[in-house]
Amino acid sequence: METINKISWEIRNDIGIITLDNPPENYLVQPEFVPLETLRKWTSYDYLKGIMICGAGKHFSGGGKLENLFRMIGNKENISESMDKGKAVLEHLENLDIPVIAAIQGICFGGGLEVALASHIRVCSENALFAFPEINQGIIPGLGGTVRCFGKTGFPKAMKLIMSGDMINAEDAQEINLVDFIVSKHKVFDFSFNFLQKLTRDRPLTVINAVMKALKNARSLSIEEAMREETRMFCELALAEAKRRNGYREIQK
Amino acid sequence: MKIPGYSTIRLQFDEGVGLLELNSPPSNAMNMDFFKEFAAVLEFIRFNQEFRALIISGHGRHYSSGADVPVLLKEILEKAETDKKGRLISVPDFLSNNYKSFLMLESFSIPVVSAIRGVCLGSALELALFSHFRLCGEEAVFGLPEASFNLVPGLGGIYKLCCISGQALALERVLKGSTFTAEDAMKYRIVDKVVPKKALMPTAYDFTRQVMQDFRVEKRGLYVKKYLS
Repeated sequence: METINKISWEIRNDIGIITLDNPPENYLVQPEFVPLETLRKWTSYDYLKGIMICGAGKHFSGGGKLENLFRMIGNKENISESMDKGKAVLEHLENLDIPVIAAIQGICFGGGLEVALASHIRVCSENALFAFPEINQGIIPGLGGTVRCFGKTGFPKAMKLIMSGDMINAEDAQEINLVDFIVSKHKVFDFSFNFLQKLTRDRPLTVINAVMKALKNARSLSIEEAMREETRMFCELALAEAKRRNGYREIQK
Repeated sequence: MKIPGYSTIRLQFDEGVGLLELNSPPSNAMNMDFFKEFAAVLEFIRFNQEFRALIISGHGRHYSSGADVPVLLKEILEKAETDKKGRLISVPDFLSNNYKSFLMLESFSIPVVSAIRGVCLGSALELALFSHFRLCGEEAVFGLPEASFNLVPGLGGIYKLCCISGQALALERVLKGSTFTAEDAMKYRIVDKVVPKKALMPTAYDFTRQVMQDFRVEKRGLYVKKYLS
């Protein structure tokens, strides 16, 4: 197990586990909560088939420590550069070509919710709570949370969540598409880990990578471009499969 | 109206409404001929003002079991242009034409309604996803099984499922590759209504005749609410 900035990393079977490890609330130490270079290294093992993000103990994460943020501003540190680095970390997670699942229990606020929103699948416990409390301090979510929230829930619900700063429970979060699965209190880690493993166990990485790329294209390309790419990826896999069935020896790259 | 004959498709016309049935018994698998004829049928309908709506269904018990995979693999192996190391250079035209047909179908200014009974798998589900509306019988079976033979859906299935049902569900359905029921399809927003099998075609015709009066694709949600709930 490796730890940096109160974030831990371990690999179990072929699933990487990122633990927000700053109990009890698992506050994120800075916007770039794990250095991008470290995250790149962790996620570059070519046998990994999925990533699970969870919090140590009872909570997922209370988000960024606002005192730290205001201190940075007070010290005239370059806050926008720091936020950009944080955004780059979340973009890296979102654009990985293996699935990322967030296993959420307890509180999932602010920056914590932004981490969850950058994941591909969100599982939460029935006692989970979600909020963007930034507005109470006169600021807004700054790591892409506004954009990603809007993408999941639509405009009116995202606006309500962000403008009110109100907390919502697991059921309401599922109702507005903020989470995909609700499970009982102590099942979050097991469910998420097993779900990810079941999903990827019998599938070669080439197939997993193609599906993830197609989903990324669905988020970022026009329908024409996304479909052209989907057909191209299908064709590549079909070519490999046709050769395999014909008993061709796989050509080494 | 004189309707051309096709070997894998039955096209009928009745008071403004076209009925396109996939017709390769027993399971209406989509073979190479089907895709060629499908493109031709779309051209025929597109340039014929008399068509004011189109219903897509399968002749017999099933919508369609999807592409004929062994034939498709063989064709790709023969026709795909590759470099010396066997890597793909360009996608063969016959494959690109298929997704272009689906895009063309979706861009129709007349309503396109898929009426689904029996199996609707792989490329057949992709075809249904490019229709403007989807109705199904209670016993219908859906799935994108491509991953279970080391492939992925290649005609916009991942794209569409992601838009309609969300990323997590698309990821789950595509990687698992297992089939799911009409009830699940309704829950995932993949179909707009589930009806008893015998009521499928009458419901499809009633709905289509309502919608074709003033069809605009942006009003999709409104029609579903008004006529199907």
